Amino acid sequence: MAQVSFICKRTVVSTKPVQPGKYSSLSVLDRVMERNHLLVVLYYRSKRGREVGGITKKLRESLSETLTSFPVATGRLLKDPKEHWMIKCNDAGVRMVEARAKGSVEEWLRNVDREQELKLVHWEEMFHKPYYWSTFYVQLTEFEEGGLAIGLSCTHLVVDPTCVTMFIKAWADTTLGGKMVSPPLFHPLPPRRPGNMTIGHKPYTPLINHYKSFIENPPPLAVALQRHSTATLTFTDQMVKSCMDMVKALTPFEALAALFWVCISNVKAKKNGSGLTNMSICSDMRKVLGLDKGFFGNCMVYNKVHMELGVQENDHQLIKAAMAIKEVVGEMDNEGIMDLIEWLEHNDNYQYSPPLMNGRDDLICINLEGVESYMAMFEDGYKPIRASYYIEPTVGEGQVIILPSPAGEGVLSRVVMVTLLEDEVVKLCKDALLMHFSPTILMGVK
Amino acid sequence: MAQILPLFTSSVKLKYVKLGYQYLVNHILTFLLIPIMLATALKILRLGPVEILNVLKSLRFDLVQILCSSFLVIFVATVYFMSKPRCIYLVDYACYKAPVTCRVPFATFMEHSRLNLKDNPKSVDFQMRILERSGLGEETCLPPAIHYIPPSPTMEAARGEAEDVIFGVIDSLLQKTNLNPKDIDILIVNCSLFSPTPSLSAMVVNKYKLRSNIKSYNLSGMGCSAGLISIDLARDLLQVHPNSNAVVVSTEIITPNYYQGKERAMLLPNCLFRMGGAAMLLSNKRRERRRAKYRLVHVVRTHKGGDDKAYRCVYEEEDPQGKVGINLSKDLMVIAADALKSNITTIGPLVLPASEQLLFLFTLIGRKIFNPKWKPYIPDFKQAFEHFCIHAGGRAVIDELQKNLQLSAEHVEASRMALHRFGNTSSSSLWYELSYIEAKGRMKKGDRVWQIAFGSGFKCNSAVWKCNRSIKAPTDGPWQDCIDRYPVHIPEIVKL
Repeated sequence: MAQVSFICKRTVVSTKPVQPGKYSSLSVLDRVMERNHLLVVLYYRSKRGREVGGITKKLRESLSETLTSFPVATGRLLKDPKEHWMIKCNDAGVRMVEARAKGSVEEWLRNVDREQELKLVHWEEMFHKPYYWSTFYVQLTEFEEGGLAIGLSCTHLVVDPTCVTMFIKAWADTTLGGKMVSPPLFHPLPPRRPGNMTIGHKPYTPLINHYKSFIENPPPLAVALQRHSTATLTFTDQMVKSCMDMVKALTPFEALAALFWVCISNVKAKKNGSGLTNMSICSDMRKVLGLDKGFFGNCMVYNKVHMELGVQENDHQLIKAAMAIKEVVGEMDNEGIMDLIEWLEHNDNYQYSPPLMNGRDDLICINLEGVESYMAMFEDGYKPIRASYYIEPTVGEGQVIILPSPAGEGVLSRVVMVTLLEDEVVKLCKDALLMHFSPTILMGVK
Repeated sequence: MAQILPLFTSSVKLKYVKLGYQYLVNHILTFLLIPIMLATALKILRLGPVEILNVLKSLRFDLVQILCSSFLVIFVATVYFMSKPRCIYLVDYACYKAPVTCRVPFATFMEHSRLNLKDNPKSVDFQMRILERSGLGEETCLPPAIHYIPPSPTMEAARGEAEDVIFGVIDSLLQKTNLNPKDIDILIVNCSLFSPTPSLSAMVVNKYKLRSNIKSYNLSGMGCSAGLISIDLARDLLQVHPNSNAVVVSTEIITPNYYQGKERAMLLPNCLFRMGGAAMLLSNKRRERRRAKYRLVHVVRTHKGGDDKAYRCVYEEEDPQGKVGINLSKDLMVIAADALKSNITTIGPLVLPASEQLLFLFTLIGRKIFNPKWKPYIPDFKQAFEHFCIHAGGRAVIDELQKNLQLSAEHVEASRMALHRFGNTSSSSLWYELSYIEAKGRMKKGDRVWQIAFGSGFKCNSAVWKCNRSIKAPTDGPWQDCIDRYPVHIPEIVKL
């Protein structure tokens, strides 16, 4: 089995100094994600016969250049006078870890599991004094027989999966051609649009209540982590289409989320003996709020899906699940999100016990269909062959992340990463309904 | 009000008196010669042409007499020209520019310090206080090995840094001067703290395939003033070897000397020393006179090692935990001032105009004979030099020298800005400062430059150069991309 050996850890700084005295404040959607962190792993093939170590040096230099445009990434966390987190852009840099792995990247991908994959990403929990704690960690692992894995980890307080992918893409553009195709945008969340102020407007309470419940009952700071396992499955274009047709869904996310909701409930029902589990979805709200995709900061919103209890036939269950998801997605419009943002601005005094948005007894289904991870090309002609995303810590019932597929596999094809308890994952991979859509298991449980 | 006016007018009058005195004393020979020449010319004119011819005819010229006198003249001229020391020209020089990825901002330095010295918060605070008041900027560079957490100062990394710096700077020099490596006759490399076997000069000979009969020297252990010691050595060698080129490389390799312990006196160099290097091409060839930038006028070396306190003030030793570091004693500034005074006393008579020397002599006599309470006269060195390059050893050194020599802010600007942009690069800092003056377009033909360097031992060395041709800005060099941002105001304390 391929082994990862650590070589060194250092700090990478930007090429141009940051103007002193720059501060960046965090929005309410940022601050509510304080207890989470993101892990991203991208795999690349490499040119034949290329010397090991060369690409690491090149990437380090291009990262330096990229960081000049991201002063927020090289800054450090500090509390403002209201005891809220903010970033002081003090030019301290990001940590970089270099590692080597035996074998080739293709060999690794054939045999990898969650535990092994997490060795390709370096993460350090927040220090007691976070002023000396880096918010970003990059690990470059070169495979001795060809291939490269780029692991990026960062606190969810500063970024969400969409903007961390934009950061990687900006880094790739800089390495390739020297120019960033879509530069980042740093600004606060937009205020409510004047045209949207309808008279007698009732705020979107279910969403607000969802957040309220997390803020008022945060789980303890030291959460006992059970042994989770992750499986990565991919669905072909045709299979996704047939699923969408079956449940009359508008988007692959709705169809696949419904499918996994039902299948995972089946797996858990064999233990718990009830209907569908509780479920929340999480989606990127940039389009809804009218923001450019280069907006740097958190824009992911969680919402609970409501479904009547009742044991029903599998097919009907699936269609009803899809309808419930569609309904919730429809309700998360500009007005609804603005209601949430305004409520959060008045109710954010949770400095001493911040909420854990994925930390209760809900299955969370995260929509990352729109992230452009497969567009991050560091060398001409070499696109990533796989992209894995983790939103940690995983607590509660589990997590399902819906990701895009590499180019050339069809517009509707999707990759799904499911994190559940180890035995549940094994059972899920054998579930009849799931197998009906013949997914290919890219990463399973060993 | 009435009292201030007389003082003001009296001080203005004093200024004019002083100016008049200086003109008189400095050009005394001219003032004496002109009346004599006028008188002789008048006498000759009065005589008339016929009389002159008669005088000439009366002088009987014998063949033997003519031959002997002409031989005498030729003999005296030959002896004069043979005994004159050869002119040493500095054809050109190059300074090392580190890659931008080696940059160390304050925040990164402090973070690494905190991570590496987890158990010694007092030492970390000390380093922060030093860094805040150091006068360094956010663009100074440390070698890659020091960027690791924890730093990994292996010999391989040190050799790597040496290769990057020395080869980088020699490549730059060869390109600037169109010099063929085979034409290098003398090679001197000075690097104080890193001295591998084979030596760094052997490393250069190997890389550039220099001639087998090259005269190569490697100076180590001589501290920050080793750059001028190498120039002195090159000068002496060029007196002995006619028609030769000498390449001098000055650098300091930081990698092996990063102190990893917690003694405060030894942590100071970590905060100030940064990556840097310079290479100079010196020549005594006649034809270099056209394109040489500077001519070497004097080198004065002062060694205070005879005094025990001076000897121990910069001392490399092991700390109680066995980690090697350089211990800087608290009376460093006092010893430096003393060494400077010694050096000035020697260099003064060589460079100061006669007016200053007379004043100094009178006050000296006056203090000895009449009244010991008279203030010692500090000669005005601004009369002798247009530019000053003070070794950027630290803000305190520059402040001290500015005060002692009564220099203006513009005179020490080159030193302060070099400290800000490049940090203390040890023996090569003088060349970064010279490069700054050139980049600002201030170097004109005939300008005199005084380079002063201090080093462990305790040594104070000076070199005096005269600019051979006006140097036009913009110049290529380490300041090329940032000269427009300078001068920068450097605050007393930078809040970290």
